[in-house]
Amino acid sequence: MTLSYRPGDSLAHRLDPRTKLAFQVAFAVAAFAHTNPRGLLALSLVPLGALRASGVSVRKSLREYRFVFPFLMAGPVVAAVTLGPPWVRVDAGVETAMASYRVVLVLLVSAAYLRTTPVRDSRAAIQHLVPGKVGRLLGTGVGFVFRFLPVLQADLRRIREASAARLGDERGLVARMRLVGIAGLSRALSRADRFALGLRARCFAWNPTLPRLSFSRGDLPVLAASLALLGWAFV
Amino acid sequence: MSTDTASVELVGEETVENVARAALFAALTGAFAYVSFPNPLSPAPVSLQVLGVFLAGILLGPVWGGLSMGLYLLTGAVGAPVFSGGSAGGAVVHGGLRIRNPAERSLVRLVGAMVVGTGVIYAFGVVGMSLVLDMTLEEAFFAGAVAFIPAEAFKIAAAVGIVRSDQIAAQ
Repeated sequence: MTLSYRPGDSLAHRLDPRTKLAFQVAFAVAAFAHTNPRGLLALSLVPLGALRASGVSVRKSLREYRFVFPFLMAGPVVAAVTLGPPWVRVDAGVETAMASYRVVLVLLVSAAYLRTTPVRDSRAAIQHLVPGKVGRLLGTGVGFVFRFLPVLQADLRRIREASAARLGDERGLVARMRLVGIAGLSRALSRADRFALGLRARCFAWNPTLPRLSFSRGDLPVLAASLALLGWAFV
Repeated sequence: MSTDTASVELVGEETVENVARAALFAALTGAFAYVSFPNPLSPAPVSLQVLGVFLAGILLGPVWGGLSMGLYLLTGAVGAPVFSGGSAGGAVVHGGLRIRNPAERSLVRLVGAMVVGTGVIYAFGVVGMSLVLDMTLEEAFFAGAVAFIPAEAFKIAAAVGIVRSDQIAAQ
């Protein structure tokens, strides 16, 4: 996961996470409301600006999301092909292609968020939005998932390498899945136990001190832009 | 958020363990999304993501399995690259279908619950894809689901093997 928070001093780094979340949502709504060539052309400028304001290169973010492209490209093809004459309906394909393109735009905007927002700020924003113990569980849990995702990915990679070194990759599909599943699961469970012990030792509490979130003057234009996008979406 | 100066309210022991497990299962599901095997039946490779959903449902139960998958979706929504495809949305509902003490339950129930879970996952995936990509339900089914469904049988078989293996039962 190379697309994670990097400390920095860019414009987007200084914004409040709630502002950035609001902007993301507003942009997604606008992209869904204006899925036509002109709307998409105008909206294409937004991710470019957002990525520029957060110091991320477009190419790098696209590479990070490469696993969604097969789905996005299969969509237009399947939509265009019909059983029976005229066999290929270009207009349906074009429509779905535009829908695929808007997904890419939304993903690019969220790449800008990811790069510029520390996980604990996301956590604080979630706890602001969802009150009570549920919000606290979700907020802390998301932080834990972010923390452990790369660790478990490395675990699974090591398991598969070890299995391949012992010719495990010549076994049947179910046997291989079982092997990776059992080893991965038992590592995850033992990590969970140690992690729970560590949390208790460090007084894991319902009311920890979170980073102070505050709106600054820089948030105003972005909030205004979010409102404008929302307004445009509903016109 | 202001600093809490009132006394610290510790999270109970059992809850801590369950939260840790829920988070680890969500992370495991995300990590499984990156593990892919070549599929003998179709050109689309098999990722293990759904296996993570099965295991969370079976081993954690409806409440914590549901929370775990909620965390998984939320983490994805906040932006972590944890989804391998569009078929992630049904996870939360599946958590409700779990079976306690999997080793003691009959094979039929275990497999039945997972088949229903798969149906739910794909239903959400197909509806989601048709909404997001402006396709009809049938088109979305052919584009996003058909190539993956045969592989689910392998995952169900693997999940049964995993849940019943001695190594996991010992923990």
